[in-house]
Amino acid sequence: MRGPGPTPRSSRARVRGATIAAFVALAPLLPAAAVAVGTLKVDASLPYVCTLPSGQQPATVRITAAFPERAVPGEEIRPTDVTTTVELPAAAVADLTALKASTVRAETLLTVGAGQNGQRTEASWRGTAQPLGVPAEGPLTLTTSGDVPTLTTDAAGDLTLTAEGLAVDLAPSTADGAPTTPASLSVSCVPGQNAGDRTLLATVPVGSGTPSPEPSGPPSSSATPESPSPGPHVPRPPLPTGLNAPPRTGTTRGTGEVPTVPGSGARKDRGLTAADEPGAPAARPAAPPCVTEKPTPTSLSAYITGYSNVRKLNGANVIPVSCVLIEQGQPEFVVLPDGSMHLFQTSTGALSHGGRRQTPPFKATFLTFGFAPTTATLVLEQAGPMTVTSDVLLVFPDNLAETYIRVPLVLRVLDVEVNGTRLDVGPSCRTEKPLSSPEPTPAKYPGDHLVLLGKGQLLNGTDATGYLLTSGGPLTGEVTIPAFKGCGAGGENLDRLLTASISGPGNHIKQIQGQTCSVGVETPPPDQCTEDRQPLVVPKPAR
Amino acid sequence: MNKPIRKLAVVAGAASAAFALAAAPASAVPSTVWTVNPTPAGFTAANSGNVVLSVNGIAMTCTKSTASGTMASATGNPATVASISAIAFGATGAPCTSVLGNVSTVATTPWTVVAQDYTAATGVTKGYVGNVDAKVTVGACVFRVTGKASGTYTNSTGALAVNSVAGELTVVSSTNCGSAVPVGAKPTFKGTYLVKSGTVIPTIVGSNP
Repeated sequence: MRGPGPTPRSSRARVRGATIAAFVALAPLLPAAAVAVGTLKVDASLPYVCTLPSGQQPATVRITAAFPERAVPGEEIRPTDVTTTVELPAAAVADLTALKASTVRAETLLTVGAGQNGQRTEASWRGTAQPLGVPAEGPLTLTTSGDVPTLTTDAAGDLTLTAEGLAVDLAPSTADGAPTTPASLSVSCVPGQNAGDRTLLATVPVGSGTPSPEPSGPPSSSATPESPSPGPHVPRPPLPTGLNAPPRTGTTRGTGEVPTVPGSGARKDRGLTAADEPGAPAARPAAPPCVTEKPTPTSLSAYITGYSNVRKLNGANVIPVSCVLIEQGQPEFVVLPDGSMHLFQTSTGALSHGGRRQTPPFKATFLTFGFAPTTATLVLEQAGPMTVTSDVLLVFPDNLAETYIRVPLVLRVLDVEVNGTRLDVGPSCRTEKPLSSPEPTPAKYPGDHLVLLGKGQLLNGTDATGYLLTSGGPLTGEVTIPAFKGCGAGGENLDRLLTASISGPGNHIKQIQGQTCSVGVETPPPDQCTEDRQPLVVPKPAR
Repeated sequence: MNKPIRKLAVVAGAASAAFALAAAPASAVPSTVWTVNPTPAGFTAANSGNVVLSVNGIAMTCTKSTASGTMASATGNPATVASISAIAFGATGAPCTSVLGNVSTVATTPWTVVAQDYTAATGVTKGYVGNVDAKVTVGACVFRVTGKASGTYTNSTGALAVNSVAGELTVVSSTNCGSAVPVGAKPTFKGTYLVKSGTVIPTIVGSNP
């Protein structure tokens, strides 16, 4: 990396130079013209070392991307056409076949170091792969593409982008489509020693023609990572909220072991940010993006949030506003042998956060063993299909609805602080199996999963009340949190601590789902969707 | 399996019979001159009590519904005495609801108010709301209803009571509604609207000069 050159720089300018703000955009949505100015194409094959359940193994990681040839301060530097290809060695395949996996879904998180003028920040490049068959033998090659952060700097100087840690999350399924046990496998990789300076992916010169440290600096450009609140004061086109926020990526750490993203606002929130911006017209409350990328006529989307008690900890945690993407089933009119008339409907759903089937990360604070104040950063990961089955009993003039939501969820611990001291829980600290609930029909719905029940009704020409899939409402359930596994690093095993603190039965859950957005219909009703067809209604947790 | 359906059919049959009975004691000489007062004039209408659309036993309830249009004296039988140029089902914060979820209805207007029979003793006109055409969206289920809905208008109260009978309205298209709302289904529509022209309750009087 070249230095900033002989131009003297004020300390203020240096501070500004540190304002390399990363935020997530949706690369696939970018118009081709965005890269037409002159692009720098990168295609790098790098040796990595990956830590698998069976031990460390070499792997080859190929990264392709295109960058603008140059940029000016304040301009978005937007990587496009990004793919990450990981060739996992045969040993990794053996780890999967040992789980009886026949297909695997993969998600990658590549940490990319961005450096300029001695300052440094990180960006997280996430990618997802189509489900892939697990080969009987030989290596497994996964190619992912997906959300890619843009970079903005308001200082001149070469911006370097360097490949760093890579986390690969594998969600294997057996031949019958059921998740394996465990339901996911995390592989963390770091560049091999022989990678050398080949990890430098690109150098983008910033600041052509504006050598002065103070020239293009309109007063509004003084926002720094320490002062994110004033909003997007950047001398470029309107940008999403969070542009000037420091590159906090939730609990993501440098080696990329944790595939998390910020709770909200960091992604390019099409139509989402107005409520957060001073002076903007009132819109829906802040909520993470909830975009249905490829809607079908039956696509719905909704937000859900609520409380989950951890009985052992004698406290309730808020599960943050989470996006659920739903494919609504056809309601079928059925007369049962007993003469009762029903509408049956089975829909499917998936949590969606940053391209992953999970909730946003959330913090839970409690007293471990009743005395040690503990804060854990948690995420609920979906480990299999979510089904939504509704049974509406039609008894003229009343309609009585029961809706069961079933979903296997694994509770993952990203971070723990006890008494202010951080404990390294490692990259794959999770419950050893999905959370489980009492299941009213276990023969039909085997396996561990969460069960939530919502009841709704419409009595004699009055308004419908309670929970109904498309209009939302309260859902309740009770859940057992299994033991934790894989927690700890550096030889310290935290499984027992977390299991003793958190795991156990009888934890009450109450979630509130908001009105769905009928994403796929020709003209969604105006009170359901944002302009870009995300859910308009953001529910609030209720006890 | 067939038994409940037969029951439904019996109910529908009974409803038709009731309508036939109600229609039977019509005036010996049908009205051909319909005097609307004021005329011509605009009107507004708001529901009194809930408005309910039912399809296959699934009730869709609207606690708010409003309409507006124009009315004028007319001749003939049947005769169109009013035109509904706008009708809304549900309002902001008070959507129509059902066990399939909140219901959004977009009407294709004009709808008509058609007079057929007048009873001078009670000041009640029998007729129907015609040219009904509405697109109903519930979640991903979208269907279109067309047809007419029988009703009465009472001069003393300004109440337009719509109470359609099975067969008058038909589902003519349906997407993602499964067998819950198939094409060919016969919804019913029930609701009472209080009509005003400014602050005046309009009247309709039928005669045969």
